[in-house]
Amino acid sequence: MVNYSKDAVVEIRNYLWHKLKEENVLSANDYLDGNGNTIVPIIPVQQVPEMTTFFLGPTTANEDNKTHIVYDKIGISYEENWAICCEQVVFTIYAIDYNKITIMRNFMMDLFRRMDDSAKEVNAWSGKSQEFKFHSIYIADISPTQPSQEIQGFLAEEIVLELKYSRHANFQGRFI
Amino acid sequence: MDSNILVQASSRLQPLMVEPSSGIITNSVVSQISAFVYYNSQVMANVMDEPGFKNKFNSMIYTQIEKDFGNYIDAKARTNPRSLHHVYEWNRAGESSARLFKLNRLNTDQLSFKVLYDFLPSKSFAKSSSKRRHVFTNKASVMEAGMPLKIAPRHSQRLVFEVNGYTVYMPKGASVTVKRPGGPGVKNSFQMSYSHFFKGNLVNESIKRSGFQNLFNSSLSKALDLPNNIKTVKYSFSPNAIRSQAKAAVSAAFSG
Repeated sequence: MVNYSKDAVVEIRNYLWHKLKEENVLSANDYLDGNGNTIVPIIPVQQVPEMTTFFLGPTTANEDNKTHIVYDKIGISYEENWAICCEQVVFTIYAIDYNKITIMRNFMMDLFRRMDDSAKEVNAWSGKSQEFKFHSIYIADISPTQPSQEIQGFLAEEIVLELKYSRHANFQGRFI
Repeated sequence: MDSNILVQASSRLQPLMVEPSSGIITNSVVSQISAFVYYNSQVMANVMDEPGFKNKFNSMIYTQIEKDFGNYIDAKARTNPRSLHHVYEWNRAGESSARLFKLNRLNTDQLSFKVLYDFLPSKSFAKSSSKRRHVFTNKASVMEAGMPLKIAPRHSQRLVFEVNGYTVYMPKGASVTVKRPGGPGVKNSFQMSYSHFFKGNLVNESIKRSGFQNLFNSSLSKALDLPNNIKTVKYSFSPNAIRSQAKAAVSAAFSG
């Protein structure tokens, strides 16, 4: 049975969260909800209303947990080669501290600017689903840091990633 | 590259393609090579002026840019509705079917085009707490420009509206001025996104994705394929015939 709920962008989101923790850019301890569960601070735009309270609410220990990323797909297309999907995703980084937003932007740039090498690293990560193989990941665009119009007191910066990937298929070319 | 320069330069090959009357040439190599180079240069010179090539250049690239720009603004509007809600119908920020903007292509004489935008009139009813409903037709352009709005009673004696849950009754005939219609974040925000898309890397990505490069490569290599009469060993070639052949080959390669 094919699992159609799998999505390449979610794989990238999971990988990014893994690397942010691993390289101590963000800490999972800053994102615990009232029940002690970790809230991953990289959320699709469709979940923003539900998550607003968490990211904008009063903080207890520090204000690190205000830093978060909202992502959305810009578009997906298959070229003549239908085995390779080309997808653009915009990641908007929100933080109250200019230094934090600079760190986040540079970290993502460092991670995702190297095309096939970036893709190789994602493929080699053990947490990735086996359904996908990434061919290339690169930074298509970065916007300047600006005061956010959405969240008062926050700064925002957008990074557009272009992903090229395949989903494993059977002999007929259908997903497996 | 200016095709006139190429035509001028290649014209110097013409005497080499014709057998001299004195009969000095003893083999066909010089005229053959000259005809080969002359044909290629004529193909290249004709490409830029070929209407089929221009049409494909304009339509393929513009179609992709239009699609990618729309998707980009939609995604931005979903993430930043406060900045871009004004270029969509009410409460539908980020929906492609609710866009109030449209790109326009302005063709030029040369191999290029300009991309401009227009705002479309809103057709949906403005959000209102009163029973009377109205359409704010120029919503997108007025909010984008940050033009203050003066609202005056037209069909009734006074304005009545709600602010933070309280009903406000204005004096008879008094008007209200909205200093920043659409909120503080909308002024020039579409223009900024448009500039960012077209001045940054996104438009280049879009051009790459258009597939025009592939089509150009395959069509040009088709046009550059030497006709049989130039491949045939001969001591003399007609420049006029080669020019016509090159033109016909370019036309055939970029048509359809």
